[in-house]
Amino acid sequence: MSQAITAAHTSAIDALHTAYVAALDQGDMAAWAATFAVADETSYFCISAENDRRGLPLALMYDDCRGRIDDRVSFVTKVWVGTYQPYRTRHFIQRLSCESAGNNQYRVTSGFMIMMTPEGGATTILTSGEYRDLIEIQGEGDNARAVFRERRTVYDADVLPRYIVFPF
Amino acid sequence: MSAHSTHAYTGEAPKVWPAKVNQIPKEVFGDAALFEEELKKIFYGDTWHAVGHAAEVPNIGDFKTFDLGRVPLLIARGKDNQVRVFFNSCTHRGNQLETSVSGNRKEFECPYHRWLFSLDGTLAACPGSKEFAPDFKQENFGLAEIKTEQFLGLIMVTMGNPPPLKEWIGESGLPTLTALLGGDGRLKLLGYQKVRYASNWKGYNDNDGYHAPLLHTGFRLLNWQGGKGFQRMTENGHVIFEAELKPATGNGFLKDPSLIAFKGSNPERGSVITQLFPMTVMTKHMDVINLRFAIARSHEVTEVHYAYFAHEDDSEELVQHRIRQSSNLLGPCGMVSMEDAAIFQRIHIGNQTPGFAEFQKGVTSLTEIPMDVKQNDETGNLPRWEHYRKVMGFKREGEQ
Ligand code: FES
Ligand SMILES: [Fe+2]
Repeated sequence: MSQAITAAHTSAIDALHTAYVAALDQGDMAAWAATFAVADETSYFCISAENDRRGLPLALMYDDCRGRIDDRVSFVTKVWVGTYQPYRTRHFIQRLSCESAGNNQYRVTSGFMIMMTPEGGATTILTSGEYRDLIEIQGEGDNARAVFRERRTVYDADVLPRYIVFPF
Repeated sequence: MSAHSTHAYTGEAPKVWPAKVNQIPKEVFGDAALFEEELKKIFYGDTWHAVGHAAEVPNIGDFKTFDLGRVPLLIARGKDNQVRVFFNSCTHRGNQLETSVSGNRKEFECPYHRWLFSLDGTLAACPGSKEFAPDFKQENFGLAEIKTEQFLGLIMVTMGNPPPLKEWIGESGLPTLTALLGGDGRLKLLGYQKVRYASNWKGYNDNDGYHAPLLHTGFRLLNWQGGKGFQRMTENGHVIFEAELKPATGNGFLKDPSLIAFKGSNPERGSVITQLFPMTVMTKHMDVINLRFAIARSHEVTEVHYAYFAHEDDSEELVQHRIRQSSNLLGPCGMVSMEDAAIFQRIHIGNQTPGFAEFQKGVTSLTEIPMDVKQNDETGNLPRWEHYRKVMGFKREGEQ
């Protein structure tokens, strides 16, 4: 755990966070999925702080394998189209901690806030929360690239202010 | 009156309800003053309201708070294992007693003057009581309970005087509700999805049997057909729905079709809904057991706590399957339910216009409230509207 993080790894992790935010803020679900590893054991969970705190396993989004992540993209882009009221988001992230987990992997936590603007409406806060990530660095040196092996999004809102289309 | 005639939108409740039973005046969806009347006549009236399930507070000292309209409630399990529903208000000067959504306590203490209540509501301590009013008796100041009945752990409350719970639900609805609650109500809480919809509670509650194959493109893409079933209504506004489950193939659309696998044991009751007047929807669909505890916050905000359960006898594998299926299928972000949530809000906006919501699918008479309704009809909602009309005291056009 004491092994110091290299500048290349730090900037790869920064770039991953940026890519994630850019994908969602542009509503680009394929780009969102591309921030995750292609390995089957890759997961995205989005769970309320209440469930998380109480040890209740139920989530708002429970993608416990790579196939589920791809299926979420299909639902947002192919199935739900035309039914929901569009909204745009702005994600803001603040990294809180980063620790080596060995094997070129890092446990990273960040605070986040998501602003939401419904089409034709004013901007409000959708929710804030914490990202708890297992990030893997693939490739070496200048080619080092970071991907999520696991992103656990714990959102603060005890009651969400609307129904949800996009991942947090 | 022609089909296109309208009540001008006045912001007031309609004085007259149309004679045609398939027309609902849209005015009832956007009226703040009407909401106050609904609180009195429905939410605080002679109707039972679901506020929780005993499995949400499984251990002694467990509690959850909830609201009935604007009335704060405290649901707690006592040392005697009884689940009681109190008004969440200190019996001294009325301070909100418990502020947390849920938790576990040895007793409830009001911080204002430190009155202390046991889990069964008894007032255990009240500092300075020697100088209290001459008629003060400690035993008279236990927490006030709201009238409560349970059915297989489902906790129902009322501020009025409805018939006994089973009678109110109706004989015809009990087998479906029993199946929905796992046969014996021995459920285990998996967690919640909680959300506010910008919708009148009646719009939230007006989903129908007609829309499913049409709104939800997912059903077609996944080659997911509904099996044979029925829709049954009661005079007091409940809807009971049952359908056989035909396994969905996924049609190659999903990379992970295991999500929509059915691992339970009763495909003949694979899809079951009990919708109790005024706004409790409970469903068991595939392996998802979902009780939706709803709060009418105002004429334009409805809050829904989707609570999901496993059964106590489930294998570890089945619990795990229920967790992933429940999380992804039927909530405010669910594969085949996000669209319903979108409709709740869109229909609320659209209903701020003059005229009527027009029910069509399954209507065979313009004067009789339909009680014989097919699975994919939208007429199953009309007995509920009729019950609503009567409870609210709206006269039909031409009625004396
Ligand atoms: S209001 Fe609760 S102790 Fe006084
Ligand atoms: Fe639906």
